[in-house]
Amino acid sequence: MKTLRYHILICSFVLAVVVPRAQTPLLNSYSPAQPTVYLVFDGAEVDGTIWNEQGKILADPAGLSPSTITWIHHLIAEHFTLFNLNVTTDPAVYLRAPVQQRVKVIFTPSGTWYGNVSGVSAIGSFVWGDDTPAWVFTGMLSNDPSFIANAAVHQIGHTLGLQHQSLYDSYGIMITELSGGETNIFSSQAPLMGIPFYKKAGWTNGHPSTGPQYVQNDTAAIAGAPNAIGYRKVITEEKQDDNAIFIERNRPGNVQLISMGNFNFRLIDMSGRILTQGELRTGFNEIHVHNGSTGVLVLQWSDGNRSGSQKLMGL
Amino acid sequence: MKTLKTILTGFTLILCQQLCAQQTDSAPDLPYSNKIEISPDALEKLFHSPDDVAIVLAPGFELKGKVKNRTDHGNSVTSLLIDVASRPGGTLSISRYQDAGGKIYYSAHLLKLHEHEGMLLVEKDKRYYFIETQQRFLVSE
Repeated sequence: MKTLRYHILICSFVLAVVVPRAQTPLLNSYSPAQPTVYLVFDGAEVDGTIWNEQGKILADPAGLSPSTITWIHHLIAEHFTLFNLNVTTDPAVYLRAPVQQRVKVIFTPSGTWYGNVSGVSAIGSFVWGDDTPAWVFTGMLSNDPSFIANAAVHQIGHTLGLQHQSLYDSYGIMITELSGGETNIFSSQAPLMGIPFYKKAGWTNGHPSTGPQYVQNDTAAIAGAPNAIGYRKVITEEKQDDNAIFIERNRPGNVQLISMGNFNFRLIDMSGRILTQGELRTGFNEIHVHNGSTGVLVLQWSDGNRSGSQKLMGL
Repeated sequence: MKTLKTILTGFTLILCQQLCAQQTDSAPDLPYSNKIEISPDALEKLFHSPDDVAIVLAPGFELKGKVKNRTDHGNSVTSLLIDVASRPGGTLSISRYQDAGGKIYYSAHLLKLHEHEGMLLVEKDKRYYFIETQQRFLVSE
């Protein structure tokens, strides 16, 4: 009996160590910026916020693969390229950010504690300084990465003080609180702060849900007071530096390299398809490439000031 | 005389139009149904009160409740979360900020999830007011 217990204990320990856990890749959209949006995919314990009327909330992990998380991060970050704002999955980056310029967005399958919605957030909580999170309930979004990303951007918009973009008739009567881009049925555009799921969604300048007498310019509101985020510096000329990366080993499915700085990179094939992307840190780095990526590939890197590219053969 | 009248009317119309444009372009204030002025002293008292809170924030507006959570971020931001007994099920979330110049200011929300109305602390001309507004302008899906 003792031996059996000992055996079970050893097996449990080995399983705990060996069974790989889904890990969120550490991604940053714009590292120089201090204002931060932290995307939480690994589950969270939330207490002491306005969401905790019924006590502590234990949010399950989103259950998304690292590649799906990377894609969602990319889709979200794309909507904030205009702003001096870093969208990160790194908790350490969030903790370093100014307390009144940060928010976390928790991605979790279910929000039964709140109701059957795709997400919820407190308007303006980005500057509250008390770590009130925003929520995206992935189960209500069919676990579709693009739906999840657009829902997250919508909630982030709320935390940055934005109200819904609404539609009013010529008498100022609200037709719909969430505009889906109906003003022009031939348009394929919809407001991110309306219904951002079925058309190409973007920030808009329109009448918010607070009333037709108001005008909400989404981008100006995000960049301005009280968020005080501002816009990104426009890099007029990126210095070409093809020698910032030294390829050490180039094997099937795997590239080992030395980087002379911290860069964002992407690996593309000759048809322009992105095979993988992420960050390179100063020193030794390893890039894994999935099967089916044979032929000539191009590794591109950039840190906003320097950029370069190299061809890789026979991966 | 007629020309002068025409010029004056035209000038007034342009002025009105510009004033209206300024009004709609300004930061969107929230529509509200009720407004109560709160003195900064009363707000400050909340941060020095024991866990069982009973403070008159304004005539006819007494806050009774229990502090559920206190967070402190290096003296620059202190936040309180108070279970409000005088508004059953409601939660007051209030933060006190001190900027680099030593100026103190506050933000607060009194909410109960899924209720129609909520309260928001706003500052106007160095005075604080709790405004009662639709909760969808404070918490949104």
